[in-house]
Amino acid sequence: MSALGFVRKRDDKAAYLFLLPWFAGLVLITAGPVAASFVLGFTDYNLIQPPRFNGLENVTRMLGDDRLHHALGVTFTYVLISVPLQLAAALGLAMLLDRGMRGLAFYRSAFYLPSLLGSSVAIAVLWRQIFGAEGLFNQFLNLFGLTGRGWISDPDTALSTLIVLNVWTFGAPMVIFLAGLRQIPVMYYEAAQVDGAGKFTQFRRITLPLLSPIIFFNLVLQIIHAFQSFTQAFVVSGGTGGPSDSTMFYTLYLYQRGFHNFDMGYASALAWLLLIIIAAFTALNFWAAKKWVFYDD
Amino acid sequence: MNNGLSRRSLLSLGAGAVAASTLAACGGGGGDAGGEISKDAVKLRFTWWGSDARHKRTQQAIDLFTKKYPNITISGEFKEWNGYWDSLATTVAANDAPDIIQMDELYLASYAERGALLDLGTAAKHLKTDGIDPAALDTGKVDGKQYAVPTGVAAYSMVVNTTLLEQYKIPVPDDSTWTWDDLKRIGLEVSKASGGKVTGVQSWGFDAGGVNIWARQAGATLYDASGKVSIPPAVLAGYWQYLLDLAKQGIAPAPSVTVERAGASLDQSGTATNTSAFGTWWNTQLTSLSAASGQQLKLLKLPTNGQAAAAESPYYKPSMFWSISSRSKHPAEAALFVDFLLNTTEAGEVLLTDRGVPSNSTVRSAITGKLADTDKAAAEYLATLKVGAAPRVTPNGASGIEAILKRHTEEVLFERRTPQAAAESFIKELQTEIDAA
Amino acid sequence: MTDLKERVTPVPITVEAAPVRRRGRSLAKHAGLGLLTLVMLYPVLWMVVSSLRPNNVIFRSPGLILDGLETRNYGEGWNALASPFGHYLVNSAIVVLGCIIGNLVSCSMAAYAFARLDFTGRKLWFAVMLGTIMLPIHVLIVPQYIAFSNLGWINTFLPLIVPKLLATDAFFVFLMVQFIRGLPKELDEAARIDGAGHPRIFAQVILPLMLPALATTTIFTFIWTWNDFFSQLIYLTDPDMYTVPVALRSFVDATVSTSWGSMFAMSVVSLLPIFLAFLIGQRYLVKGIATTGIK
Repeated sequence: MSALGFVRKRDDKAAYLFLLPWFAGLVLITAGPVAASFVLGFTDYNLIQPPRFNGLENVTRMLGDDRLHHALGVTFTYVLISVPLQLAAALGLAMLLDRGMRGLAFYRSAFYLPSLLGSSVAIAVLWRQIFGAEGLFNQFLNLFGLTGRGWISDPDTALSTLIVLNVWTFGAPMVIFLAGLRQIPVMYYEAAQVDGAGKFTQFRRITLPLLSPIIFFNLVLQIIHAFQSFTQAFVVSGGTGGPSDSTMFYTLYLYQRGFHNFDMGYASALAWLLLIIIAAFTALNFWAAKKWVFYDD
Repeated sequence: MNNGLSRRSLLSLGAGAVAASTLAACGGGGGDAGGEISKDAVKLRFTWWGSDARHKRTQQAIDLFTKKYPNITISGEFKEWNGYWDSLATTVAANDAPDIIQMDELYLASYAERGALLDLGTAAKHLKTDGIDPAALDTGKVDGKQYAVPTGVAAYSMVVNTTLLEQYKIPVPDDSTWTWDDLKRIGLEVSKASGGKVTGVQSWGFDAGGVNIWARQAGATLYDASGKVSIPPAVLAGYWQYLLDLAKQGIAPAPSVTVERAGASLDQSGTATNTSAFGTWWNTQLTSLSAASGQQLKLLKLPTNGQAAAAESPYYKPSMFWSISSRSKHPAEAALFVDFLLNTTEAGEVLLTDRGVPSNSTVRSAITGKLADTDKAAAEYLATLKVGAAPRVTPNGASGIEAILKRHTEEVLFERRTPQAAAESFIKELQTEIDAA
Repeated sequence: MTDLKERVTPVPITVEAAPVRRRGRSLAKHAGLGLLTLVMLYPVLWMVVSSLRPNNVIFRSPGLILDGLETRNYGEGWNALASPFGHYLVNSAIVVLGCIIGNLVSCSMAAYAFARLDFTGRKLWFAVMLGTIMLPIHVLIVPQYIAFSNLGWINTFLPLIVPKLLATDAFFVFLMVQFIRGLPKELDEAARIDGAGHPRIFAQVILPLMLPALATTTIFTFIWTWNDFFSQLIYLTDPDMYTVPVALRSFVDATVSTSWGSMFAMSVVSLLPIFLAFLIGQRYLVKGIATTGIK
C-alpha cells in the first residue's frame, strides 16, 4: 500500500517498552492463577481441603459425563444461533443510526439502554414481564386468541428466550460498529457518488471492506463471549440452568461443579477443555480472516 | 532432551502454584476457644445472607453487643444467598474465612466434615446451649460434635388462603384428619369455582422439605444414619405421580407456570399473588406471604396418607445455624457473640423471628408479646405440632440436592421422564454426589 | 488510495427525486424505529413504573399503568442498607475511574505495539493475549484471591483496579489493535519521515485518530465495571467497601418477602450514571475521522 518503500528496522526495543505494562500484568496477575487452574485440573480439590493429585481422572470423567455433553450441545446451539443474529442486528442498526437522520442520539441511547442493565438482578424479573406466563408476549398472543405458556420455564423454549435476550442486548457490538463506521473517511463515499455508485455498491465496495477489521473483531469476541455465556442464564434461571437443564450453559455447569458441589478440580479441567474449544474456533476465525478482512498494511 | 527439561520446569511452576494454595488451605490453626475473653481490642468478622430487613436487624444486634463489650468490634458482611456461598467457599479456600458464619442445613456437613468449622463444644465456656430444645440442638451435630447451633426452628406446613376459600364458598378443611386425596378434591373444587383464574394448589417438589416429609409419612427417610440415600424408589415415584396428577387434573397450574413460580421469589409465588389457594411453605414464611398477598392466610398441618408413620412425620427444621470458623483467631470472643445472639432477650427482641422462631425457649417466650399476629400464628403452629426426631443432617456432598430435585421434578412435569424413572435417576445421582465427596 | 484522495472535492449531497416521497419514507422509518424502541424498552419502563408502586402490589398489577405515584421506595431504598446508597455509588465511581484510566493508558500502549511495531514473537504474544480471555473467571478466582490475600489487598479496590492498569483486559487491547490497523499507514510513515519516534507517533498521530476506540473503551469500561458483580462480591467483604451491584443484590432474598420497590428504585438510580455516561460518550463515538479534519 505504501508509496514510500523505505526499509523498516525491527522495533523490538520500542515494542517491549510499549508492552511493559501488559507483560507485567501477564507475569504478575494472569500467569499464576492460569497455571494454578491448569494444575488443579489434575487434582481432586474441594476448596476446603488441600488438592490431591488424581492424574487423568478428571479427563476420563468428562468422557462419561452426560450432563457435560448436554451442556456442550446447549452452548453450541446458543453460539451458532445467537452470535450471527446479534451481529446482524447490531450492524444493521449501526448503519441505520450512523448519520443523516433526526433524533439519532435518542435512538442510539434508547437501543443501548437494555445493554446497560447488564447482569442486574432485575433482569430475571424483567424478562419474566416479557416471556413469563403473564408477560407481554402472551398478552400479544391473546389478541389473536392464542394461549401462550411460561416461555422461560418451558424446557422447549427456554433457550430461545435467552437467545432473544442476547440479541436484545446488541448495544455493545452496535457501539463498536458505530465507532468503526465513523473511521471510514466520508470522502470515499463522496467519491463513489461522483462515480455514480449506488447504495448497495457503496456498502459492498466501501463499507464492508473498510469495516471488516471491526466486523472481525466483533465476530471473534462475540464467539468467545457466547461460549463463556454465564450471567444471563444464571440470573434468568436462578443459577440452576433449568428448566430441566435446558439452559445449562457450559460455564454455568462448570461453576455449579466448582462452587455448589465443591468440585473445583473437575471444574478447572472443564475450564481448560473450554479454552481448547474456544481457541480452536478463534484460530479458525483468524485463518478465515485472511480471505475477507482488509487491513491497510 | 530440551523438551523434557521444559516440561519438567513447567511442572515445577505449576507445583509452586498448587503449593501456594495448599499452604493456604492448611495454614495456621485457630486460637483457643476455651480461653479468657480478651481485654484488648478484638476485631471479628460476621457474615450472613438475607434481605435488607435482616441486614438492619442484625446490625442493631451487633451494635447492642459492641456497646456491652467496647473492646470488640464486629464487621457485619451481608450477602445474598448465591453470592454468599461463592464468597464463603473462596474465603475458606484462602484461609480467610469470617469468624462467625451463618450456616445452612444443606451445607453444614460439607463444611464441618472437611474441618472448616469449630467444634462448639470446645467453646462451651462462653457459648451456652442448655436453653435450647435438645431435639433442635441435635440438628447442628455432625458425627456427634456440635458444629453449629440452630438460630431458630421452622416446620413444614400447608398455607391456605381463607379469603379465596370463602369467596368460592368452600369450607376450610380439618387439618387433623385430612389426606392427600382430600387436598386433590378440594383443590379441584377451587380450580373449577374460579374458572381457572385461581388454581387449587401451588405445586411443590422444589425443596428438600417436601421430600423429607413424604418419605417420613411412608415410614422411610431420605437418608439413613450413615448418610446413604435411603428413600425407596416407589415412595419417591408416588411423590412425583401425585405432582403429575395435580398438574394434569388442573388442580395445580400448567407445568411451565409452576416451574416459573418456583424459580421466582416468594413475592411472585401463587400464594403471594393469590392465584393458588393451597401451597406448602415453612411456617415462618407466613408473615412474608401475608404481607405480599394482602389476604387472610392460615397455617394448616400437612395432609397425610393415613398411615401410622404419618403421625410423627413433621419435624423441626433448623431455619439456619450459627457456626464459627475453625481458623478464627478469636474463637472465644466469637463464641461469646453467638451466645449473645442466641441466648439473650436483648438480642431476641431485635431479631424476633427473622431467623426462625427462636430456638432458646426463654427468648421465645420473652418476645411473644412483641410479635405480629402472623408471627404469633407461626409460633403457635410450631407449639401444637407433634414432631418426630429430626432427619439426619444433609450428608457431605449432597448440598446440591435441591438442584437435582428441581431438575427431576421438571422432567416429570414436562413428561420427559416417568415418575418411576425419575425416582431411580434421582437416587442414583444423589448417591453419586455423596460418594464422590 | 492516493488517487481517491485527490478526487475529493466538496460534493453537494445528492438530493433524491421527490421530497414528498422522501418525507414519507423518513416518517415510516421513524414510526418503525419508535415501535422497536418501545418494545425494547418495555422491561426498562416496567422497572421504572414498578419503582413507583407500593411494594406489595408490584407483582399483582400488570402493565405499565400507574394508579398513583409512590415515591417512598426511593427514600427507603436509599437508606435500606448499612450506609446510604450514595456511599455505594461513590465506591463504584472510584473503581470505575481507576479502571477507565488503567484501560485507556495500558491497553492503548499494548495495542500500538501489536498493531504497528514489528518485533520478535509478535504473533505468539498476540495469541497469548487472546488466550488470557478464554478461561472463565470461576476457576481463576480462588488462586487469584489467595494471591491478593497474601498481598493484603482483600477488601481494598486494588484487586479490581491494578489488573486494569496492567492491560489484563485483552478485549480492549484487541479492539484498539483492530482500530489502529484500520488507520491509513501513510500517516505514521509521513510522521516518521519527519523524524518522529514511536512515542511521538503514538501520542500525536495515532491517539487522536483513535478517539472513537478510546470513547468505546471508556464507555464499556464504565458500564461493565459498574455492573460487574462477581469479582466485586468476592474481593470486597466489608459493607463499607461495597459497590453498587453488590449492594443491589443484598436487597433480594428469595425465601422471604423482598423490598422489590426499593430494589427497583435503586436500580433506576444506579442506571442513571451509566446512562449519562453513555449519552455523553456517544457524542465522541461519532467524532471519528470524518470530523477530526483528516481528509
